[in-house]
Amino acid sequence: MSAALATIADPAVRAAFREWLLRVADDELMIGHRHSEWTGVGPDIESDVAMSSIAQEELGHARLIYEQIAADEPGGVDRLAFDRPPAEFRNAVLLEQPNQGWEFSIVRLALYEAFEGHRLALLARCGHEPVASLAATLGREERYHGLFAGTWLERLAGPPAPQSRGQTQSGDARARVQAALEAAWPYALGFFETTEADGTLLRAGLLGESAERQREAWEASVRPLLERCGLNVPAAEPSLGGRRGVHTPDLTQMHTEMTEVWRSDPEARW
Amino acid sequence: MERGRGVTPTSRGGPAPSWIRTLDAPADVWAVFLQARRRDAHVYVGDVHAPDAEMALLLAKENYTRRDPCVNLWVVPAREIRATSGDAAEMFEPATDKSYRFGGSYRQQQRVYRGGYHIAPTEDER
Repeated sequence: MSAALATIADPAVRAAFREWLLRVADDELMIGHRHSEWTGVGPDIESDVAMSSIAQEELGHARLIYEQIAADEPGGVDRLAFDRPPAEFRNAVLLEQPNQGWEFSIVRLALYEAFEGHRLALLARCGHEPVASLAATLGREERYHGLFAGTWLERLAGPPAPQSRGQTQSGDARARVQAALEAAWPYALGFFETTEADGTLLRAGLLGESAERQREAWEASVRPLLERCGLNVPAAEPSLGGRRGVHTPDLTQMHTEMTEVWRSDPEARW
Repeated sequence: MERGRGVTPTSRGGPAPSWIRTLDAPADVWAVFLQARRRDAHVYVGDVHAPDAEMALLLAKENYTRRDPCVNLWVVPAREIRATSGDAAEMFEPATDKSYRFGGSYRQQQRVYRGGYHIAPTEDER
């Protein structure tokens, strides 16, 4: 394993780059684990399998990014995923929230993928190998995740397709999706919460776009989808905290459950 | 699922030929055909439930291509498939020795059989 971070000479830039990678990996770990909770209880067997597969891919992405960080640190990937207190996690709060309902998971996935695809593209252009190549590879899998979310969102909230076979949406489907969107939106804006790391990365030329520009690109991507579905884009203020390690009890509860087996014997080789 | 026992379709307004059947499938079932490599024929691999073609392809991708190689997927409403009836099977049984027709070892012939269709361009691509 080539050390991804050790080759960055400036300690401040190295720490900022580590923080950026941690955001990416923690985001993927959290949404991956939440999506895995749909395994066995999805709305139909096909979407259950598909969501479980997406969950596996997200956890796989988290693992690969953690490996980049862990190459220079003791304890490896497992320590990063399982042995950090909540305050050390840098994921956006939206991704730790419980699934609540299928419509919330789909809304969250749609909002997240529009952000994540763009972020991986930025990471792929950061000029720092092997992270840039890895980000380009991971980005290929995100396309399907976004398609899955968008297609489901259109079926749940949009007008019925004229050639629809068998299934039709019930009357309250769009209202439920709208409610999920209202709940998710402020936390989705938390994707773009900044710390000192953002300025450091921008000045060092590793990060090619400010959080503000990223948010503009994200809105330009999600607004047409939401409007096509007849949804009203909320005008809420951002709910922040995740990028600074301020999380909800949902993360603690989820992390306790996620690490139960690992904690039974942290030294075990699985 | 037992196949080939569905209602008899009507054909050209008249009574349907007795040896043609539809599949006994619900309206939202789509048959999935997978092409493993470019030169291979599409092979029926199973079904998905979906309200429309886009969703059917989306679900087929994750349900049938996660473990096996795939370069292209087809979906078709299972109800749209026309099948020969079960008792028509004897039509396929040669009554006399026809081994002189067997050309399975001719590779060129196999390539012709597997020529298949190309993906049609969209209006924008034309």
